[in-house]
Amino acid sequence: MEAVDVVGTPPSGALARVWRGVGRAVTFVAGDHGLLLGVSVLGGLALLAIFGPILWPKDPLAIDVGASLQAPSWSHPMGTDGVGRDVFARFLEGARISLVVGSVVVVVGAIIGGFAGILAGVSGGWLDSATMRVMDAILAFPPLILAMAVCVGLGASLKTAALGVMLTTIPYYARLLRSEVLRIRTLPFIEAAYALGAGRRRIMLRHVVPHVVSTMLIQAAAVFGYAILTLAALGFVGLGAQVPTPEWGTMITDGLQYFLTGQWWIGVFPGLGVLLAVIAASLIADRVRDILDPRGRYAHV
Amino acid sequence: MTRSVGGKITGAVIAVFGASLVAFLFMRVLPGDPARLIVGPLATQQAIEEQKKAMGLDQPLWVQYWRYIKGFFTGDWGFSYSTGQTVAHEMGARLPASAELGLCAFTFAFIFAIVFALLATYRHRPVVDGTVRGVSFLGLGTPPFWFGLIILLLFSQVWHIFPGPDGRLGPNTTPPPSVTHFYTIDALIAGQWATFKDAFMHLILPSLALGLAVFAYLVRLLRANLLDISRENFIVVARSTGHGRWSAFSGYALPNAFLPTLTAAGLVFAQLLAGSVLVERVFNWPGVGGLVVDSILRQDYAVVQTFVLLSAVLYVVVNLGVDVLYGVVDPRVRIPVTS
Repeated sequence: MEAVDVVGTPPSGALARVWRGVGRAVTFVAGDHGLLLGVSVLGGLALLAIFGPILWPKDPLAIDVGASLQAPSWSHPMGTDGVGRDVFARFLEGARISLVVGSVVVVVGAIIGGFAGILAGVSGGWLDSATMRVMDAILAFPPLILAMAVCVGLGASLKTAALGVMLTTIPYYARLLRSEVLRIRTLPFIEAAYALGAGRRRIMLRHVVPHVVSTMLIQAAAVFGYAILTLAALGFVGLGAQVPTPEWGTMITDGLQYFLTGQWWIGVFPGLGVLLAVIAASLIADRVRDILDPRGRYAHV
Repeated sequence: MTRSVGGKITGAVIAVFGASLVAFLFMRVLPGDPARLIVGPLATQQAIEEQKKAMGLDQPLWVQYWRYIKGFFTGDWGFSYSTGQTVAHEMGARLPASAELGLCAFTFAFIFAIVFALLATYRHRPVVDGTVRGVSFLGLGTPPFWFGLIILLLFSQVWHIFPGPDGRLGPNTTPPPSVTHFYTIDALIAGQWATFKDAFMHLILPSLALGLAVFAYLVRLLRANLLDISRENFIVVARSTGHGRWSAFSGYALPNAFLPTLTAAGLVFAQLLAGSVLVERVFNWPGVGGLVVDSILRQDYAVVQTFVLLSAVLYVVVNLGVDVLYGVVDPRVRIPVTS
């Protein structure tokens, strides 16, 4: 349905509309301290990850044994590691890996889990029970440990770690969306649509699915920080990205042996990266929930 | 009541069955070659075939699954190639260290969570409340292994308050005679004060690292519960009978705030279990989590396979226990809700 806007239509055109949207988003984010902090920290990390190679054109894998274990200085802002690799360059590469893999985990998990949940909620019957039993089986594991099992079974790498983390997030989407679909199905407007002659398919796609999108977004926002943290944990126990790859968790493991000999910078900075990214993500997730939660809005009245 | 408990047990059994299928699928079926994992990448084809036969991998899948499950539940957990012991023996030997650490971490987390949640809520003080919320945010976002390294660096390397990462006891202390296998308690029983102090000092940093996430989670939950309950009428009544704000909060609101916290027990357990895998290695703590990481690094997967299914079973059992207990503690849950 097109909105009928008669009074004082501002200059139309796609570009103007986009700009207005951006402007509104910026004022909204700027007016909310928690959201502003989260968005700027995560945005800052993302910018560093994207433009890092241009700003700091050092090879994160280049070994220079002559320059090993140097403390942070102007030429190496985060020092160098045991074989002389520049920790700052590795930190930037690690930011890229964490953010990209975290996003992939969130998006793919949301699609699979959301699809499973909506399907279970809509179809009911044996398909519903079967889907939910599979989800129960996944939920029977402490999340990190299931992800470990996947990595051990399929071979330790960044890809299997991402797959493992993604697998552990699926039931949360599925359960939440299934119960949302079941709740929405009983609401009067669905009955009204049915009375107007809409088919099952149309009701599903036009009336139910749009209403679960916000629930899915809330869950997705909460998963992002979890994904980054769990990926780092897998990297730390040797099940995620393998050794030369500058993944944050793997870098902390790398710094483990140098901690007690005084070279703290190798392990401290990547951990700080994880901390910043996860906290920013959970700040955003909290605010997203407050803003989008369909039940929360009534609760606050 | 009995029917609902029966239903919960059935659900738990189905969940464990499903979990065993998932574990079997990922750890035995999908890679296709667990034999290669065990004999190592340099083994000859013949050695792999022999290993396959020895493991029964030439059998049909359902036979393999049956053997896997039977072995697991009869305590036949296989053989750890890197230590030369059975997995059951290895885990049994390392369990007390993990249990002692886990209990200590939980105690820390629980006590701190209560104190901080009360401080944040019993009077309207935005600065205190904001600090507590900030700490809990930090606690949930900090990788526990990294936090362990940081406190080790500060309290052991820089300030020399606590000992370094040398496990449960310092190099010059001999373990106390075993009664409970908990070094602190055993040392007390034997009356060895120096050993007790050493064991206790070694416990503190790992407990903080392991307990941080649990603390953050509990303080968040307790704070929210306390805020909800503080608006209830019975708190006003307690105040009007002459109780001060603090005593109304700690005596009346707190016990009621614990009730919803009980549901978090499963999550807390999962956090301690997964956390032990991450934290024990940092402190060279000789526990099960450390064993699992060592086994992963040595590609000795028998230990990991057992640990994965074992933790799933324990997790389901803890959650089942919480579910049942909740019905006992809170009568409202017993009444079936018609949806």
